[in-house]
Amino acid sequence: MSTLYAILDWPGTKWLFIVLALVMPLASLLTWAERRQSAMMQDRLGPNRANIGPIKLKGILHFVADALKMIFKEDFVPANVHKGLYALAPILALAPVLIAFCIIPFGPTIYPHALAHPIDPLLLAADPGNDVFKDSIRLQMFQIDFGLIFYFAVLTLANYGGTIAGWASYNKWALLGGLRSSSQMMSYEVAMGLSLMGAFLVTGTLEPGAIAMFGASDSMSGSNPLNWLWLWQPVGLVLFFTAAIAETKRAPFDIPEGEPEIIGYFVEYSGMRWGIFFLAEFIEIVFISAVIATVFFGGWQVPFLDIDGFRFGGYIDPSHVSTSGYSLLLPHWAVASLQFAAFGLKVILLCWFQLLVRWTLPRFRADQLMHLGWKLLLPLALANIMVTALIKLIFMGN
Amino acid sequence: MSHGHEEEDVTHGPKILAVSTTHPRVRTIQVVRPEAEDTTFLAATAKGLGVTLKHFARNLFLPMKKLAVRNAPGAPVDETWRNEIETVQYPEEKVVYPERFRGLHRLMMRDDGNVRCVACMCCPTACPAHCITIIPAETDDKGIEKKPAVFEIDELRCVVCGLCVEACPCDAIRMDTGMHAKPVEDRADAIETRESMLGRGIRSIAKQGGVGPDWREAGAPKDPNDVNR
Repeated sequence: MSTLYAILDWPGTKWLFIVLALVMPLASLLTWAERRQSAMMQDRLGPNRANIGPIKLKGILHFVADALKMIFKEDFVPANVHKGLYALAPILALAPVLIAFCIIPFGPTIYPHALAHPIDPLLLAADPGNDVFKDSIRLQMFQIDFGLIFYFAVLTLANYGGTIAGWASYNKWALLGGLRSSSQMMSYEVAMGLSLMGAFLVTGTLEPGAIAMFGASDSMSGSNPLNWLWLWQPVGLVLFFTAAIAETKRAPFDIPEGEPEIIGYFVEYSGMRWGIFFLAEFIEIVFISAVIATVFFGGWQVPFLDIDGFRFGGYIDPSHVSTSGYSLLLPHWAVASLQFAAFGLKVILLCWFQLLVRWTLPRFRADQLMHLGWKLLLPLALANIMVTALIKLIFMGN
Repeated sequence: MSHGHEEEDVTHGPKILAVSTTHPRVRTIQVVRPEAEDTTFLAATAKGLGVTLKHFARNLFLPMKKLAVRNAPGAPVDETWRNEIETVQYPEEKVVYPERFRGLHRLMMRDDGNVRCVACMCCPTACPAHCITIIPAETDDKGIEKKPAVFEIDELRCVVCGLCVEACPCDAIRMDTGMHAKPVEDRADAIETRESMLGRGIRSIAKQGGVGPDWREAGAPKDPNDVNR
C-alpha cells in the first residue's frame, strides 16, 4: 500500500495527472470557449453544431473536430526552411509551459489514512509523524524555495520557440514576428518580475505553495479571503495581469502575431505543427491563470474552509493551534475535493477573464506597447515595491 | 475665428497658431497630444470591458428572441428579458424573404390541370442567359395550338433576372416560390424539368390571351385580393 502512495507522490505521476486531467482538457476547451465567448460578446451564437450523433453539448466537441482536422492535414514543410530548427520550434514553444506547471500547488496535502474523518489540526501540529499522517501526498510537483523564479526562467525559454520558428521559416514576415515576439518579451519580462516582487516582500517567500497558504494577520486563517494577496497587492495584481497577458502574446498585445499585417512567426506552419503553437498559447493562458490564482487568490483555498472544515469567526493560526469560532467539521476527503475544485474554478474564471480582455481591447501599436511597458508598468512596479517595503518596514518592524 | 472658442478647445485637436491671409485654409497648427490620463487607457479599458461583459451576460443567461422578431427588424414586439443574438440557424430557421423575391421558377396550370404555357418562345428569347429550352408540340385544342413537350430551365445558368416572367404573355411562368435553387452534386440535377416546375404550380384563372381591347370596360376584378387578377 505504501508503495502505491509513493508512486502517487512521485512528481511524474502528479505531472501526468495535472497535464491530462486539468491542463490539456482546459486548454482544448478554451479553443472552443474562445470562439463561443467572443460570439456571445458580439451578439452571435458561435460554433454550436459539432456533434457525435445526437450528442451536441452546445458545440463543445468542436475541439475534437479541430484536432482531427489538424492531425490529418498534410505536414507541409516549405522549401528553404532550416529543417531541424523548423521541427524543433513548436516543441520549444510547448515544452517550457508544461514544465512550468511543476511549481503550481493544485490542491492541498492529502493524508490517505485520514480520508474518512475530519483532520485534527492540533494533532497535526503536535505530532506530524503520527501514523494517521504518514504517506501524505502533496499536490504540488516540486516544492522549491525559488519557485516563482523558476517559473520566470522556464517560461522565458518558451519565447525561443517563437523566435526560432520565425528564423527557421525563411520568410521575412515570420522573421518580423519572431523579432517582435522577442522584443515584447524582453520589455515585459522586467515589469512582470518586478510586479511580483511586492508579493515576495509581503509573504517573505518565493514558494507558490507557501504564498497560497499566506496569512497576513495572525488573527485570521489563511483561508480568509481578506488574507489573500489581491487585497495586499492590488497594484501588483493589475501590473502582473497586464504583463502576463503581454507574455501570452494575445490581444491587445498580439503584435508578434498581428494577423492583418504579418500573420506572425508561425506563418509557414500548418497542420499539427501549427496546432502545437496554438495549444501552447492556450496552455500558457491556463498557466498564467494558475499563477494568478495561486499568488493573488489563495490558490486552492476555499473561503473559510480550514483543514478540518468550515470555520467562521475563529481561526487557525500558523502553528495550527485551533481557537474558538463556529466551525462545521468535514471529513478530509470532502475538504480536499472542495479545495481541488476551488482551484479549478479559480483557474477557469481567470481564463474566462483573459478571454474577455482579449476580445474587448484592440491591438496596441508597437510604440504604444513599449510606452506602456517601459514608461508605465515598470515605474509603477518599482513604486509598488518601494511602497510595500516602506509599509512593511514601518508597520511590521524589519 | 473667435479667441474664446480657441482657448476652450486647446485640449482636443490641433491648436491653430496662424491662418494665411491669402489662402484661409492654409494654417499653421500645433498638434496637442492627449494628457497622461488619456494615454493610459485605464478608464476606457474599464468601460469597454463593461460593455462586452454586459453583452456576454445578457446573451448567456437570457432566452433567445423569437424567430419572427429576428426575421422582421423593427417589429413592435416587447423584447424585455430577451438576449440580443441575431443569428438565424439556417437549415432549421429561415428568414422570410420580401414579397418580390425571385426564387425558383414554377409553371402555372389551366383549370383542367394542363400546363398553361403555349410554347410561344417569348421567354427563351428574352432570357439573357439562354437557360430555357422549350420544344413545342401540338395540342388537340385548336384554340391553343401549341404546348411545350419539353420545358427545361438550367438553374446553374439562370441569372434570376425575371425577364422570362415579364416576357410571358399568358401568366404561365412565375418566380414567386420563395425557394432557392437546391444544392446538387451533379450538374444534371440542377436542370428543372416541366414536371418539377409544374409540381410547384397552381391554377391561374387569368384569361388566356387576355381580355381583349375592351378590358377597361370590364371594370375592376370582383375580388381585389385575387392574386391572379
